[in-house]
Amino acid sequence: MPKLIKNGEIIDNPFTWLQDAEQTATAEHIVPVQKWLSEKDSIGEVAGVWLDAGEGVECLEGVDLSQFKVIGVNFPAFADGRGFSYARLLKERLNYQGEIRALGNFIPDQLGYLLRVGFTSFDFPESIDLEKALALHSPFTVAYQGDVHDPRPIFLRR
Amino acid sequence: MYQYDAIDQQLVEERVAQFRDQTRRFLNNELPELEFLPLRLQNGLYVQRHAPMLRIAIPYGMLSSTQLRRLADISCRYDRSYGHFSTRQNLQLNWPKLEDVPDILAELAEVQMHAVQTSGNCIRNTTTDQYAGVISDEVVDPRPYCELIRQWSTFHPEFAFLPRKFKIAVNATESADRAATQVHDIGLHIKKNEAGNIGFKVIVGGGLGRTPMIGVTISEFIAREDILTYLDAIIRVYNQNGDRKNKYKARIKILVKALGIEDFRSRVDAEWAHLKGKEGTVPTSEFDRLANFFSEPAYEALSDQPDTLTSKLADSAGFARWYERNTFAHKKAGYRIVTLSLKKAGQAPGDATAEQMQKAADLADKYSLGELRVTHEQNLVLADVRQDQLAELWDAAKEAGFATPTLGLLTDMICCPGGDFCALANAKSIPIAAQIQDTFNDLDYLHDLGEIDLNISGCMNACGHHHVGNLGILGVDKKGEEFYQVSIGGASGHDASIGKIIGPSFAEEEISYVLQQILDVYVNNRFEDERFIDTYRRLGIKPYKEAAYAKAN
Repeated sequence: MPKLIKNGEIIDNPFTWLQDAEQTATAEHIVPVQKWLSEKDSIGEVAGVWLDAGEGVECLEGVDLSQFKVIGVNFPAFADGRGFSYARLLKERLNYQGEIRALGNFIPDQLGYLLRVGFTSFDFPESIDLEKALALHSPFTVAYQGDVHDPRPIFLRR
Repeated sequence: MYQYDAIDQQLVEERVAQFRDQTRRFLNNELPELEFLPLRLQNGLYVQRHAPMLRIAIPYGMLSSTQLRRLADISCRYDRSYGHFSTRQNLQLNWPKLEDVPDILAELAEVQMHAVQTSGNCIRNTTTDQYAGVISDEVVDPRPYCELIRQWSTFHPEFAFLPRKFKIAVNATESADRAATQVHDIGLHIKKNEAGNIGFKVIVGGGLGRTPMIGVTISEFIAREDILTYLDAIIRVYNQNGDRKNKYKARIKILVKALGIEDFRSRVDAEWAHLKGKEGTVPTSEFDRLANFFSEPAYEALSDQPDTLTSKLADSAGFARWYERNTFAHKKAGYRIVTLSLKKAGQAPGDATAEQMQKAADLADKYSLGELRVTHEQNLVLADVRQDQLAELWDAAKEAGFATPTLGLLTDMICCPGGDFCALANAKSIPIAAQIQDTFNDLDYLHDLGEIDLNISGCMNACGHHHVGNLGILGVDKKGEEFYQVSIGGASGHDASIGKIIGPSFAEEEISYVLQQILDVYVNNRFEDERFIDTYRRLGIKPYKEAAYAKAN
């Protein structure tokens, strides 16, 4: 079974990132959010949905997010930082408590920032050595800003 | 100035360790070039024409003499014994070795310095007025606010991969805008509201580059405790909606223009509604803590215009000229603000040798409480000089090459490193500056011309701010040859405007001649004491254009 990094460990990946919106979804699939929205009455159980860069989180407002085991956010390129805001908004604005998974072309050196904005699992491309990536998990032990783990900026913690 | 505590220090040290590991992995081929590129850029490291260039952060231009000595020392041991002060008040080293950079950063960390976010598509070094804290007419010292913004923006987890670079500048006085805030992604004007509370007028969407724009006001007043949540709201809207496909359309100015300020403002307000009043709200205790670092030094009780000064002014025309141009009124009686010019003929604008940096540090210790500032116009400032020591300081400044009495005049140019160093440049800019220095070397003439901002960029990325020079020169490439476009009418202060290109570009050797024609139009048409920019605004571009191209006809 393919592996991923989740909560600081390398574990089996039980879900499949469904990228083809035409394909029939199963309970193991993380499906495109627009597919899920348009088929939600008939699609049945899925593992979760994923957002592409540019889609924003607004489309999930009013949806019961607790039905998803996971919400994925795709990075079409690692320099495309829209997903950083999406994760934070999923957690802080839409109050989603489940797993937020980074998908696509993000890189191991971004792990520190990704964790701080709310990502909890990392489905790296196969070429990435997960053991080495794990070593980059938290480059900093201090931070100036609040984040999803501690909303207090440094001036409330000094 | 601000002093690190254990947390600040730990952060820069962890950054050094992180970058050391990234560099090691890159050199071992474990980190692909394409991934290392933005990582090194976020640490100010470019790969230039001849060598890497390392841009070291000087937050809002403040430097201690200890820090400047360390920069001098680093430039000797890791580079070619000089550095280049930039328009973002930073210092650039042009010849470090890539493999040495982690060691350089470690040495910087020892004196509370770093190169964090001096490049890359992230929030850059916040800049401000080089006279902050020592002029009488500012609303409040902007530096504690700049430090607040520095900390908020440093390793901001959400905004490290923005559509494009993001620059913030802060101004705190009605009388001038020495930080060019209106041509920044965000310009902040510190003000007091009717109730006497401190806050910010917020300007958004200014910028230079290929599409120069003057910023527009998004809010007339944001209370100071709300500033970070408001900045978060603006940048979150930008991060999600800025253009990700075309880097020339990716700055916030393009988004603001495309949406229109009303739509942009309503999106920011909608975002801010969720953040306002939350944890990001800055408590008074934090403003007080930061303000303490910039509290007034123990000034002595002195009088203005002491005898030693007035007699020297009467005796020495050279000193009087320097005093008039290169010093500025201080808020305390008996003190003066002194600019150490880095615009000596024969030296690239903004460059300082290691020896000069050492010397400037010595002068700061001896005459100005051990601190210096770097200016947006690429000079150094000693902010707290006793008037009775000005004559002595002038002698020392002359000896070190800092006393060129041309501050604010034609030859006090802003100039980017250009094609001599920069891989992006279309043309060289330093030889143009040198040509202008050589041609316009008569001090009487320069003083008679009065205040003129001349800015030179080697390409349309506009690091030399040519759009907002009263006179702007832009290097362009025409079929492999270097040519120069001249613009006129730009300004970067409260009266900010974008210059207009006068017509087809000129060859390098024509520049001085063309400038002379333009200056002649000014001299022949000015009213008494009318500045160059004001004459231009009255006359329009036509007479300047005709004069500049008269030769060809």
